[in-house]
Amino acid sequence: MIDPLQTLLIALSLLIAAIATVYVVLDRPAGHVLLGSLGLLEGGLLVQAGIGIVQLAQGDGDGVNGLVFVGYLLGTLLFVPAAAWWALGERSRAGTTGLIVVGLVVPVLILRLQQIWTPAGA
Amino acid sequence: MPDSSTAPAPTNTGLGRVLILVYAVFALSATGRSTVQLVQKADDAPLAYALSAFAAAVYIMATYCLAKPGPRTTRLAWLAVSVELVGVLVIGTLSIVEPSWFPDDTVWSDFGSGYGWVPLVLPFLGLAWLFRTARPRAAGAVSGTPTRP
Repeated sequence: MIDPLQTLLIALSLLIAAIATVYVVLDRPAGHVLLGSLGLLEGGLLVQAGIGIVQLAQGDGDGVNGLVFVGYLLGTLLFVPAAAWWALGERSRAGTTGLIVVGLVVPVLILRLQQIWTPAGA
Repeated sequence: MPDSSTAPAPTNTGLGRVLILVYAVFALSATGRSTVQLVQKADDAPLAYALSAFAAAVYIMATYCLAKPGPRTTRLAWLAVSVELVGVLVIGTLSIVEPSWFPDDTVWSDFGSGYGWVPLVLPFLGLAWLFRTARPRAAGAVSGTPTRP
């Protein structure tokens, strides 16, 4: 699909998980670094959704399940702010632990997107 | 650690928040999966797709009831998580013993191996959390056995 961006997003997401882990270990509340990284991630996901939908509309995807593809693009886009809001709703160690979950789930969603974009074989 | 009473602790704070987040992820993915299956190819594997939809409903109920603490919702959370446990064990076993019944996968097929085994572990974590919040001071106490104050 759009490889360099997606690889970057996966790396950023894992970085967020790693930073959140450090914060949990040190028992520090999430601050600007984590919030900024989450914002950056969300921006990247927005670009990904835009490019993905345009590519699909142009008929670039061969045999791609459009409904599933767009569902994943938009689902990922909504997941990050919703989950971050929920995780940061409690300023505690557990709340920050929620950000680790966010950072680990997003790469899985992006990998699934890539699988959906290249159906069986290819 | 709470120092007073054996009053139930809320299920949506602390580690419960992380648990609810994971439940929400599964509620979403199971709902998405079953919607697509039922919309696009309902006739291919009716049993598997009906089970996907059922699993989605169970995850939604568990997520909501854990996130909204109260005597009634917590009872429903117990129900949802127990059904989830039975579901993943029964469907996981059946999908291995009678694979022909499941031409397409459900969340619970092969004990959730397609989802990194999380569907198998999640109900145990859910029950552990419900036990713990039900009796904050006597974690792991057997349900129904009154604890001495």
